[in-house]
Amino acid sequence: MMDQSSNRPQALKPPEALMRAIAQDLRPVRPSPPPLRLALRMVPLALLVSSVILLAIGPRQDLGILGPLLAWGASAAQFVLAIALVWIAAHESIPVGRLPRPMVYSAVVAASLVVVFVNLLTFSTSPANGPLLRVPPQINEMLRVSPWIMGFACGIGSTIAGGILVLIFGWLFRNSLATRPTITGALYGAGAGLAINAGWRIACPISTPWHSLGAHGAAIIATTILGALIGRYLGTRRLRIS
Amino acid sequence: MIRYQGGSLEAFQEIYAQLAPGVRRYLSHLAGGSEIADDLLQETFLQMHRSRAAYNPEYAVKPWVFGLARNIFLMNRRAARRWAKVHESREDLPDFPVLPEADRLGSQDEIRRCIADLPPDQAEALLLHHEWGFSFEEIAGMLGISAAAARARASRGMADLRVALNGLQRARA
Repeated sequence: MMDQSSNRPQALKPPEALMRAIAQDLRPVRPSPPPLRLALRMVPLALLVSSVILLAIGPRQDLGILGPLLAWGASAAQFVLAIALVWIAAHESIPVGRLPRPMVYSAVVAASLVVVFVNLLTFSTSPANGPLLRVPPQINEMLRVSPWIMGFACGIGSTIAGGILVLIFGWLFRNSLATRPTITGALYGAGAGLAINAGWRIACPISTPWHSLGAHGAAIIATTILGALIGRYLGTRRLRIS
Repeated sequence: MIRYQGGSLEAFQEIYAQLAPGVRRYLSHLAGGSEIADDLLQETFLQMHRSRAAYNPEYAVKPWVFGLARNIFLMNRRAARRWAKVHESREDLPDFPVLPEADRLGSQDEIRRCIADLPPDQAEALLLHHEWGFSFEEIAGMLGISAAAARARASRGMADLRVALNGLQRARA
């Protein structure tokens, strides 16, 4: 059965107030890309921002112990999951493109479990608990005696890098937020945090769970919250209920 | 929609003329017949205008606008805390046409009342499919469920509706 209203001609006109509001802003707009293309657009930018730390301080010195699978393979998996979260976020923002709830929850839980599992596996393979940076020995010694400094540096550093990526994602998403902006923002924020962690974990010389889950995990949570706030802000501006 | 994205006011008027009656009835159903449906209808088309860049021609316009309307209703319900008010007005049955499949089983008023008594998720899927003609894939995209779940909700809703109407018929006999 079809909508009966579509079977007969309608002479329905929009109210004057609505027409005035529409007529005020009729500049042409470019259609938003489909979710997959939008997510793939983020890949080069996410790769660039997440590799900055690697370019700055170089990879950790126990890469040989970890092996290519646990070092690069695990990061690649995290990166793919990050882009998958951005793809899900793009779907959430489309009124008719929502994915089934269980699929969204599964992706979020899978991303969290992968981070925990990779960190624990990294620690069990190479339990590096002291920084070995390419800096003068006394600085390395100071960092070893006061591990909170490294935790603080990693937490703040990866939050800033993730925050930059969230802002870039927010900019690219600005015209694609038709519905559920807060959830969309949280999802692409989580994606940004995960992408940054994929690069950061190869550079960070400390494997202890309290550091990798505490400092790096807190950064992922922070970018998720930042994404949600940015999405909410953009949504409130556009989708506010009068 | 593509002409509208290009800046055509006439295209907007065409979209409004084609979709507004159906969207209004859908909002009326969601709001339980409450008077806020008219406000939400205007809000929906205003938001459609603000979000017109977010539309991608890959999707059909009608479910896109219905999905937007649903989101506007949910936002409004959260923002204004009018949920209690909406339920208070349940006595005024929503002004949607009854399903032809159920037409022979009872009067229009009985059918409306039985639909209003269905669980909201079943009633919504039932009406979106049978009344507004959306496919289960489109309903799934609007509600954030799988197409199989959308089909199950609609068919459970139809089965429950038949049972309720048959019960009324037997009671009359």
